[in-house]
Amino acid sequence: MDFGTVDLTPEQEAFQREVRAVLGEIMTEEVHEHERRTGDGFNEGVHLALGSRGWLFPAWPVEDGGAGLDRVCQRILALEIARHQVPTITMGTTNLVWAAVELSCDPELTAELKPEVAAGRVRFCLGYSDPEGGSDIAGATLRAVRDGDEWVLNGSKLWTTGAHNCQYTFLLTRTDPEAPKHKGLTMFLVPLDAPGVEIQAIRTYGGERTNAVYYTDVHVADRYRMGEVNGGWATLQGPLSAEHGAGRPDDGLSDIAMFMGTREFERAIDAAARWAKRTSRPDGTLVADDPAFLDRLGRLAVSTEASWVTPAAMGRTKSSLSFIAGIAELMDMVGPEAVLAHGAEGAIEGGEIDFAHRFAQGTATYGGTTEVFKGMIAQHVLGLPRLNLPGSKQWVR
Amino acid sequence: MERFELRLQDFSLDDDQQAVREGFGDFFTKEVPSSRVRDAEPLGFDADLWQRLVAMGATSMALPEAAGGDDATLVDLVLVAEELGKVVAPVPLVSHVVASRLLARAGGAAELLTAAAGGERIVTLALQPVVGSNRQLVPDAAVSRDVLAWSADGLALHTLAEPAAHVPNQGSTPLAWFDPAAGERTVLASGPEAEALFRAAVAEWKLLTAAALVGLADSALNLGVEFAKSRRTLGVSIGSLQGVAFPLADVVTEIAGARNLTYKAAWYASHEPGARPDLPLAAFVQAAHAATESAWVSAHTQGGLGFTVEADISLFFLRAKGWSVLGGDPGADRRQVAAALLASV
Repeated sequence: MDFGTVDLTPEQEAFQREVRAVLGEIMTEEVHEHERRTGDGFNEGVHLALGSRGWLFPAWPVEDGGAGLDRVCQRILALEIARHQVPTITMGTTNLVWAAVELSCDPELTAELKPEVAAGRVRFCLGYSDPEGGSDIAGATLRAVRDGDEWVLNGSKLWTTGAHNCQYTFLLTRTDPEAPKHKGLTMFLVPLDAPGVEIQAIRTYGGERTNAVYYTDVHVADRYRMGEVNGGWATLQGPLSAEHGAGRPDDGLSDIAMFMGTREFERAIDAAARWAKRTSRPDGTLVADDPAFLDRLGRLAVSTEASWVTPAAMGRTKSSLSFIAGIAELMDMVGPEAVLAHGAEGAIEGGEIDFAHRFAQGTATYGGTTEVFKGMIAQHVLGLPRLNLPGSKQWVR
Repeated sequence: MERFELRLQDFSLDDDQQAVREGFGDFFTKEVPSSRVRDAEPLGFDADLWQRLVAMGATSMALPEAAGGDDATLVDLVLVAEELGKVVAPVPLVSHVVASRLLARAGGAAELLTAAAGGERIVTLALQPVVGSNRQLVPDAAVSRDVLAWSADGLALHTLAEPAAHVPNQGSTPLAWFDPAAGERTVLASGPEAEALFRAAVAEWKLLTAAALVGLADSALNLGVEFAKSRRTLGVSIGSLQGVAFPLADVVTEIAGARNLTYKAAWYASHEPGARPDLPLAAFVQAAHAATESAWVSAHTQGGLGFTVEADISLFFLRAKGWSVLGGDPGADRRQVAAALLASV
């Protein structure tokens, strides 16, 4: 057991200074404004700047386009990226898909892509959910039909976040409609500039942009197939288990919770705390001296403390659900000023609380809904029996 | 607190800590079947079990070597308290250990310390400041004639001729009214030092009670989960139904967070005392909530059966609140957690 600070070597200290200097320089107000405007979770200039230093895949050796960072320096980088609010959505999906590329792609294609991905010029997004599929991603209906050395794709995907900033999508398709649900799927790495691909923006009230992607007679060479034909479920599982936090080294240098939104929640809580220290009630008393306010603020602080230390999948539901409940409470505690958006006169710290309240809502859905995770917790942590439904094993249309 | 500070998050137990957990876990599991908890009601004190626990070293381990102890840390005590909570053992260990440590720090008489380390004299702590002649309910005061209490005058040891009369209570604990005028009063410390000692001891009590509540919540949950696995309705196991399974999943999540918060708080208190005084209180708030939720959800999972006195879940339900409420309203702790946050931003 150890929660202590880490003694840094002179090299690690120098690296920390370098990261802070670099991020301080590239994370300009313009970048933040771009993110507020687009909700892309991505900034090309920043992405390429990180790539040029090997920081997109920091553990990779320098000769592979990484930075050869040790675990401590990787942690330093991750903390500074969080501190500087670097947009990381497309970084995250690219990392996730790369794990599958290395496992399942044609080696020649992999070798071609590796330096491009490391440099940040090639990026990946996730083509998992069909419009009618929701969390049941194995129920995918987008069809892929073999045609000689090519495959022809028809169908659509929702929630392909970052598609308009990516070169490839990691696409889940149905190749055998007659096979049991999980045995008729095949994965592809589909070039997004292929004819027949159409990307349409979808806006969330969390300020994010995601996409619907339509595939109409899209021809893809067989070299872009990942893994076996009809073996797509296994191809997809690799990075999915990475997304769910499996396989991290147990050295105390990773977050133990698969937290979602806790950083944003804490920024809102801290903003509200500072607001309370400088704001008086109509009767002249300071908000920060109001015991009822403190009681409620304390409840939120305990929930973020608990979110940080609740392990893995349980941390995912804890962080997201306590964020959603807590930020709604925080809005009430602060009152009308809390709804003022960035740029509005009197907005609290650039609309931090307004943003967090809107942003919180998506965290219970993307990356696997809290219900999916509660099912996993029931089954794998508690050992409760799995519920068998008509569509559990069969592809029900 | 610095939100982006580079710190380890290592929750693993070393071999010694593992041995403490397993040793006391085996002891409590073997010694304390639910029948023994029932037999100790309504007082909630099993003198024979207490002797055996003393023989395990539980009352002396966390005292300074000079006071006959082994200098065990709060992390070790948290592990012991969690195991105690798992069987809701009818022994006043948490209060006694906290009061003994306070006594040692405040320079209590060597004779009393030795008797406390050996478990012959049970000591306890009044958790609320004494104001005037106001009496207060003190945990385990029905089995202790040595009560530590703090008032504006200082930290005092009140030695009574006999423990105060037991007051029957929902959690079947040895609760009693403490009258500050009763007994012989010896001031051990005064001024800001006395207050700091008292506050630290109350935080320790809350931390160890949090750990005991984590254990209690864990066992309560298991009773509900096992029932959900075996009980069937409409041809399926009720545990496969989301309406039954999801509340149980929520409970195990709250318990896991509470357990790790007690570890983290204990580590800070042992290694960087003063750095995060909010953590024991946060752990207590979280654990009290987890125990309350676990006990009710588990009882409810068992339907009408879970509402009967015959069902073991009743023991856990009644103590989940019966233990946690002795520390007062967690709202007071939440306000202190908030005050620490305000001071840091």
